[in-house]
Amino acid sequence: MNAQFIVNGIVNAALIAPPAIALSLLFGVLRFPNFAIGGYITAGAFIAYAANVEAGLPLWLAGAIAMAGTALLVWLSDEIVFKPMRGSDPVTLLVVSIALTFIIEHVVRLIYTADVRGFDLPLQRPYRFGDIRITQEQIELLVLAVVIGIAVHALLAYTRIGKAIRATADNPMLAEVRGVSTAQVIMATWFIAGALFGLTGVLAGLDLVIEPLIGWNLTIPIFAAAILGGIGSPYGAMLGALMVGLAEELTILVLPSTYKLGVGFIIIAILLLIRPHGLLGTPEIRK
Amino acid sequence: MSAALEVDGLSAGYGRGDIVHDLSITADAGEIVTVIGPNGAGKSTMIKAIAGVVRPSRGRVRVGGADLAGLAASEIARRGVAYVPQEANVFRQLTVAENLAIGAWTDPAHAVERRERVHALFPDLARFAGARAGTLSGGQRQMVAFGMALMVEPSVLLLDEPSAGLSPVIAEQMFDTIRSVNETGIAILMVEQNAIRALGISHRGYVMAAGQVALADTAQAILASDEVSELYLGSRR
Repeated sequence: MNAQFIVNGIVNAALIAPPAIALSLLFGVLRFPNFAIGGYITAGAFIAYAANVEAGLPLWLAGAIAMAGTALLVWLSDEIVFKPMRGSDPVTLLVVSIALTFIIEHVVRLIYTADVRGFDLPLQRPYRFGDIRITQEQIELLVLAVVIGIAVHALLAYTRIGKAIRATADNPMLAEVRGVSTAQVIMATWFIAGALFGLTGVLAGLDLVIEPLIGWNLTIPIFAAAILGGIGSPYGAMLGALMVGLAEELTILVLPSTYKLGVGFIIIAILLLIRPHGLLGTPEIRK
Repeated sequence: MSAALEVDGLSAGYGRGDIVHDLSITADAGEIVTVIGPNGAGKSTMIKAIAGVVRPSRGRVRVGGADLAGLAASEIARRGVAYVPQEANVFRQLTVAENLAIGAWTDPAHAVERRERVHALFPDLARFAGARAGTLSGGQRQMVAFGMALMVEPSVLLLDEPSAGLSPVIAEQMFDTIRSVNETGIAILMVEQNAIRALGISHRGYVMAAGQVALADTAQAILASDEVSELYLGSRR
């Protein structure tokens, strides 16, 4: 019985980890908490829905289209909304990003209404291992999360653009005077993060149901994971996702499941009190 | 022959009016030029404006004959200008090796040979290659910052207070290093609080006050000037 909760918690973590990594990357480079991630994820889910259910494409292809389409949308949102406001106060950008998430969400609602939808997939029995049940989709979700974790690590550690992202997140002025173009780094970061949010929309649609609030409902656990790991630290975000994912599921053991959503808030509140820079983040030194 | 760095009529500031006014200075290849002056004279602003971190409002910054004023800092770096800020001059989360590699960002094909030269100059950087720069001591970090700037293989090196925060012994080593780097033919423009020591290794100097050049002369003459020593070198003499 308890083992099932741990499996559910890990699956939950696998869903939260990629967007938490993306949020962390975005924060590292752009230095504001972007609450538009809810809108991006919703957009990803519905682009995949349109490609899969309405256009009849196989889900893997619909997923790839959702990743590309969301990356494009996210980049466009920078060009139209955030770029003209570069250098603004982070709180201003935070409020703007909340507005953006409402706009995206309501455009989706205008087209698709608030109905609950699902991908066009054959129903399958979950696999059983003793008392533990796990579905095919959940296994795919786990594998994808691990692959993404490794891919993001390889990108940051070994590629030229990855090193540019880390350098810019670390010290933007110095990166610029060494010839790293901040504008290119920002664009690359939006595209990478956008693809991860698009994928999250697809995976959330597989694990949960597709509806306009799908992204918003994930926003708080994603923020909790990113903050728990130390915002701006992608590796911390992976660890943070695991802990938030488990904490949410294990709460169900002691509290009604309606309280699950509150877990993220509680984690954020406790952390901000005792370790504001997160588990793997570094405290900012200001003179 | 034109100077390696030729600043002509430069004005710059941070939005609320200029801090540097109509400033002209030059540095030739193989020359060390030190700018001294009281706090608030605009020394750092001048160096940032040359590097493109602060956008100049007027004037020209010629490097190898081409005017770079107004270009993005990354583009100015590409043209062979390496600026070492006074603070936050390393990537703290990156390893020493990664810091050096970013120095050769605009010319990665030559990174390996340049790294060997930098390692020959600072053997400690080879020993600490895998350490995160943020975990090093102040003196070691300054070496990383300096080594990273040399990885640019610059024609002009801009140093903002290279001895700030260093112990006297380490500061002494830093000045020795600046001199040996200069012998390779790089033009070095340096802003420094430790005026006596900095002018001691310099060919020429400028005294800046209120955003303008108050005096330009050979380093020896500035050191010998009674007026300057009273005003700026003060108790250090």
